[in-house]
Amino acid sequence: MEEKELERLLKTSRLKASESEKKLIRADVSEIISFFDRISLVDTEEKPAYHPTDVQSRLREDEVLPFQDVELMKKGRKMHNGYFVGPRL
Amino acid sequence: MWCNVESIKEFINAEKPSDYYERLLAELSALNREYHPFNLINEGLGKHGAFPFSTKANICVKGFETTAGSKMLKDYIPPFNATAVERMFGAGHFTFMGETNMDEFGFGTFGLNTETPARNAFDSDFVAGGSSSGAAVATATLKYHVAIAESTGGSIATPAALNGVVGFTPTYGAVSRYGLIDYANSLDKIGVMSRSSADSRLVFDVIRGIDKYDTTCSAAEITCSGRSTLFTVKELMEHTDPAIKSEFGRLLDKLGRDYEIREISVEALSKAIEPYYIIAMAEASTNLAKYNGYKYGFQYPETNLKYNDFFTEARSEFGMEAKRRIILGTFIRSESVKEKYYTKALSVRGMIIREMSKVLRDGYIISPALPIPTPKVSEAERLSPTQNYAMDIFTIPPNLGGFPHITFPYGKKSGMPIGAQLITSQFNDYSLFEFVEKWEEGFSMQYRHNLGSI
Amino acid sequence: MKIGLEVHVALPTKSKLFCSCSNGEPELPNTNICPICMGFPGSKPMLNKGAVSSALGIAKALKCRVSGSISFVRKVYFYPDLPKSYQITQMEGAIGHGGSLEIEGKSIRIRRIQIEEDPAQLIREGALTLIDFNRSGTPLVEIVTEPDINSEEELRSFIANLRSILYYLGVDINREIKADLNISISEVRVEVKNVTGIKSLTEAAKFEIMRQEELLKNKMEIARETRGYNEKSRSTESLREKETDEEYGYIYEPDLTSFGTEGIPFSEAVFISVVSKELAEGTGVNSKTISEMTMLDRHTLSIISRLKERYSVRSIIHGIQRMKKYAPEEESEAAIEKIIRLVEEGKEVTKEMVLDAAAGRKISVNYSAVGSEEIADMVEKFLKENPEMLSEYRKNRKTANLIISRIATENRLNPKDVAKKVGELLDRYASS
Repeated sequence: MEEKELERLLKTSRLKASESEKKLIRADVSEIISFFDRISLVDTEEKPAYHPTDVQSRLREDEVLPFQDVELMKKGRKMHNGYFVGPRL
Repeated sequence: MWCNVESIKEFINAEKPSDYYERLLAELSALNREYHPFNLINEGLGKHGAFPFSTKANICVKGFETTAGSKMLKDYIPPFNATAVERMFGAGHFTFMGETNMDEFGFGTFGLNTETPARNAFDSDFVAGGSSSGAAVATATLKYHVAIAESTGGSIATPAALNGVVGFTPTYGAVSRYGLIDYANSLDKIGVMSRSSADSRLVFDVIRGIDKYDTTCSAAEITCSGRSTLFTVKELMEHTDPAIKSEFGRLLDKLGRDYEIREISVEALSKAIEPYYIIAMAEASTNLAKYNGYKYGFQYPETNLKYNDFFTEARSEFGMEAKRRIILGTFIRSESVKEKYYTKALSVRGMIIREMSKVLRDGYIISPALPIPTPKVSEAERLSPTQNYAMDIFTIPPNLGGFPHITFPYGKKSGMPIGAQLITSQFNDYSLFEFVEKWEEGFSMQYRHNLGSI
Repeated sequence: MKIGLEVHVALPTKSKLFCSCSNGEPELPNTNICPICMGFPGSKPMLNKGAVSSALGIAKALKCRVSGSISFVRKVYFYPDLPKSYQITQMEGAIGHGGSLEIEGKSIRIRRIQIEEDPAQLIREGALTLIDFNRSGTPLVEIVTEPDINSEEELRSFIANLRSILYYLGVDINREIKADLNISISEVRVEVKNVTGIKSLTEAAKFEIMRQEELLKNKMEIARETRGYNEKSRSTESLREKETDEEYGYIYEPDLTSFGTEGIPFSEAVFISVVSKELAEGTGVNSKTISEMTMLDRHTLSIISRLKERYSVRSIIHGIQRMKKYAPEEESEAAIEKIIRLVEEGKEVTKEMVLDAAAGRKISVNYSAVGSEEIADMVEKFLKENPEMLSEYRKNRKTANLIISRIATENRLNPKDVAKKVGELLDRYASS
């Protein structure tokens, strides 16, 4: 895998790596992609199977059922006047 | 529901000393220091003499730190129970023992991808198997206990086999995934480990069934359609270690008294590993995007950083295997290669399901669980990523295809347990228990530890 | 000049798109939240039937091809307002494809209509970034047009017409329409994101077109980029680097299945412009005025939609107004239809008749018992007192209906009797 491509993937997935880690990752990832490339040898016209079993679709009725533990979701989080605090824009 | 299961019935009816749970917790703490099956032990264990159960650390338990084996979820306390857990509590007879050790987010075959890996219950120099490593070790060391675990590519089958316990993975969709911290949504299944098949079946009945919170959860009826033939698949057996092959051959001889044993060729099954990892990594890379240091779990302290830098710094808490899978998953999802890998993998999955369904109509597929004897931790650590992936050769086909499968112990090799895996058609889960129950009439496993014996 | 729009509309459902939190606008931040719309680990989406129903109505009103089965994808990107770091939205499995919306003498093509969830709301307070997840998970529909709009006027028309349809379908148009504009005067397409309201949209378009024309005039390059709209300065400005398709890394949403659309009920839309046109024809007043004056509510439009094949729009409206005046609580369709039928027949609708209809009693139509000679006198009197009516009649024969109706109403006569006399007398006068 090219250095540039690894950089792009790291950036897209918001990951960082030191120079030595990058070398290791590139080697591993290249090997794994060659392993994945074997899939091109499989000949099939089959439709994509998004789920392994037949799942029947179910829709939810449009009704309001408030969650009972809203305060638990705020525990331990940085809050300010009822808002969650997030990273700088 | 309770009354016809021996060990649970035995436990409920037995006279227990008043400090039974206190002593059990003390023993467990000591054992945990050597084998590390638990990430978290519930000091409140033991209400009303109920039967202990554990949950794999990627299954949400309200009020208890649930980390999925990852530093990114350190200190995360879910505000809700997974449906499976809710149902265990609802049954009234179970008490929560704690959360079991696992590979980070489920990424691993040997249980080594986490800060303090679990060790094999029979010899702590050996791997416990993964990713439900702790669940298997707990089941193999505690006399009265059941483990709720999870499988994506073989994470129940493998550790169960390596620790000499029963590991049951249901049909995809039979048990609700609500509250399961996702690895790969079209592959994850919640299952059970126990010392006897009957205990697994009982727990399966408690946790399974339709759940409105999980759209992929199925209402289909679970059948018990027995088969009289056991198939071994030539392409899978090819790369098995001769020692394992020979032990497995002896198992087949014994089973040959009650079943027809046939070797068949199903080429499709040898093509399952690549599509499995492609789909799993693609989905995993999206599931792990939500961990970025300011919502739950690990709170990255430098809120002054601009958001993209903040996210990047926070996400350095992921382990190496997780980082690799995120990178690969992101690569697979790129527009320029999506057809080649992701879409193709989904088609190959469809093909494999079709081929396997045909075979499974006529018989079970039986195989070892791991193609090599249980490795030592030091040996497994030296394997490359692709060598690791190749270890899943037996467990990936049923996991990719959502077929129910069960591993059961059938012997020991050099003091380490060996297990076999049985696969049947989708939604025919009950017949697996029937098979193993029958096998248990003539075989019982001797465990090294039996904590909590009365 | 080519303009395309991506319009985001919040659907009028009770609960959010994937969870049962309320889809309202509560006063306090972070009160309408749950593990699903907060993207907590282990949470999973449950698709709201009402949202599908509402989106279906919009897709059909915009004449889209509606798929028999819809599906969702994950669109992955990192931003503090996106709890799962992916948005659940639609691509090929979108609810509607290939529709259109008519504006004066032209058809604007609709490329696609997709259902998706809204991210949370971000507020900047000093150095702090504050997040309110009340909005997270709100059901939205994104309407994507082809770049068929070629002028500011057309843009304005499109948005106005779209608003009326949406209004009819229950969408709260007080929550201003939010859209992204794609504007190009050459081959280079510039996107202007997050513009709210007709005024801002037309001003943003105006500014951007001028900016691009200026660059071309000076032989400078127009950059293919994403810009934002600054309301204060009424101008567009460069924004951060736009993520390309490569980086969104779309995959099929594996926590959801595909959903069939057969058998899901949806509301039918009536174009207010059609209603206004018909009313205008009947009264001779400009249709734009009618549209502004009419202020038809959803209930009325719903009835018009159902009965417009059988009765004229004017009769329907008049009937409903009579109903509202004397029996405001009455909702029965059967009752309302009885009254509308009477209006269509030219009869005057009295309070007694409305109450009869509401109570399910047989309606007694009271006409004065009047002889045909007396009727003739009344007609003559009317025409003398209203000479302009006769002039109108000479220009437009249809005015006869109005004359009949007025005489019958003023004198409580059976219109059929009046019509005969009016017909005779008008013939005589008109020919003289």
